[in-house]
Amino acid sequence: MSEATLDIFPRQSAASFRRWLNSIMPALGLSAGVLIFWEVVIRLFSVPTFVLPAPTAIIDALIANRGALAVAAQATALEVVLGFVLSALVGILVALVIVRFERFGKALYPLVVLFQNVPKVALAPIFILWFGYDLAPKVLLIVVIAFFPVAIDMLVGLQSVEPAFVALMRSVGASKGKILLRVRIPHSLPHLMAGLKVAITFSVIGAIVGEFAGANQGLGYVIQFASTQLDTPLIFAALIVVSVLGLAFYYIIEFAERWLVPWAPKFDPIHSAG
Amino acid sequence: MNAAVAKTVASKAAAHAPTADPGVAHIFARGIAVDFVVEGRPQRALNDINLTVSKGSFVSLIGPSGCGKSTLLKVMAGLITPTEGEMRVSGVSPQDAVKAKLIGLVFQEATLLPWKNAIENAAFLLMTADETIKRGEAMDRAAAMLRLVGLEGAENKGPSQLSGGMRQRVAIARALALDPEVLLMDEPFGALDAITREEMSECLLDIWERTHKTVVLVTHSIDEAVYLSREVHVMGTGPGRIIETLPILLPHPRSEESYSNPAFSAAEGRLRSLLIESHRKGRA
Repeated sequence: MSEATLDIFPRQSAASFRRWLNSIMPALGLSAGVLIFWEVVIRLFSVPTFVLPAPTAIIDALIANRGALAVAAQATALEVVLGFVLSALVGILVALVIVRFERFGKALYPLVVLFQNVPKVALAPIFILWFGYDLAPKVLLIVVIAFFPVAIDMLVGLQSVEPAFVALMRSVGASKGKILLRVRIPHSLPHLMAGLKVAITFSVIGAIVGEFAGANQGLGYVIQFASTQLDTPLIFAALIVVSVLGLAFYYIIEFAERWLVPWAPKFDPIHSAG
Repeated sequence: MNAAVAKTVASKAAAHAPTADPGVAHIFARGIAVDFVVEGRPQRALNDINLTVSKGSFVSLIGPSGCGKSTLLKVMAGLITPTEGEMRVSGVSPQDAVKAKLIGLVFQEATLLPWKNAIENAAFLLMTADETIKRGEAMDRAAAMLRLVGLEGAENKGPSQLSGGMRQRVAIARALALDPEVLLMDEPFGALDAITREEMSECLLDIWERTHKTVVLVTHSIDEAVYLSREVHVMGTGPGRIIETLPILLPHPRSEESYSNPAFSAAEGRLRSLLIESHRKGRA
């Protein structure tokens, strides 16, 4: 058995690796083209570094400040993780309450939507005022920004169970609670995962905005500090770290989705339109 | 159609009219009326429905859209409480019949749960209806029902791996797993293509002949109604009511040859003219 596995597995993975390489080739090519064009324009017209640094200057800044950036990334990542988990819990809870307790839901739902229309970035100074410069105001800001997509997507998932199936469940005497537990919640999971993907990107934004408003650590703090020093390469270097952090979190969620809800329809952004 | 034929059919229908004792009839409806509230005003969807279905019979409800045939089926299933009249299934109210697992339901859409495979879907309602049943026992019953609907070997396939016809077979197996006395089907083959439809008719006929459940089928298809039923109730609109009950005199057991039987075309022609008439009245 192990022989066959050993024999087949590397060939299969080699083939899939080549397929994967082929699929990312166009994106890699385009990115390389843009970077080269960028570098050439900066050198050709001798654009001052504090206005727009060349890619090589950004990489230099990235290497020179790697220690400080790693510490800052750690602080930001902690805020993102805590904020995201809390957002997910609050969002799921709001959706469940709205569906399970219809009357209360009717009262709660408009309030949630109304609250969503408050520009939450403007709440950052208030949270700083209430909770100081620590972790709490950032996490709170993330929650108010990121719970909404979770709640809405979960709500859509809970309520989009086919009415015929609900009738079927009722026809065998299933209570509302039982229908919620056995049918609505599992049915909502693919929708929930879509909401979580939006929420994780919102969480990164929330953390950076929270750090802008007042912090003594984190990538947002590094960006703001660097801008006061006109250290534009460091700003860009920090932006790269933020992007990589966001991307990593996003793919963790996507990986979790494949593992938790394998029956969810696969999303193909390029071919789905055709 | 000439009036003489219509009269003889009507007098035959009268013999089947709900004069029967509700204790004998498997499904018994007397004076059923259903009002729906549409834009704040009550609107009559069904009026004065009287019918009896004897035990082990196969009955179809056919009629133009909006005649309330699905509503009537939902009243039988206890999903809608009638405004007036009395409905009895096995001598008890539909709600009690549901609690006693006497009713199995099949809709137009198979509505299988995507996170469960065929056999788990087939066992799902049984396990919901009966909390005390052991998982293994429910699975055994579901497997037997999948065999009955011709899905042996597809037990572990997910719904996305099944064709439309196969999904509907799972839905039928799911209803049969409850071992109901009555099978209520609301346009179960309405979403399938013509060939699959005929195949499913065949399958349903086979199930009925083997199990002798009482079946009530809502359909748009005249062929399907004639081929499968012992009796067809033709419904009309404004408000929904039964305009005629037509016994189908096609001999049993039925098979593909039945389509060429003169009794088939006679019943088909009669149903067609009744439906055209009711459709015209509905538009007038």
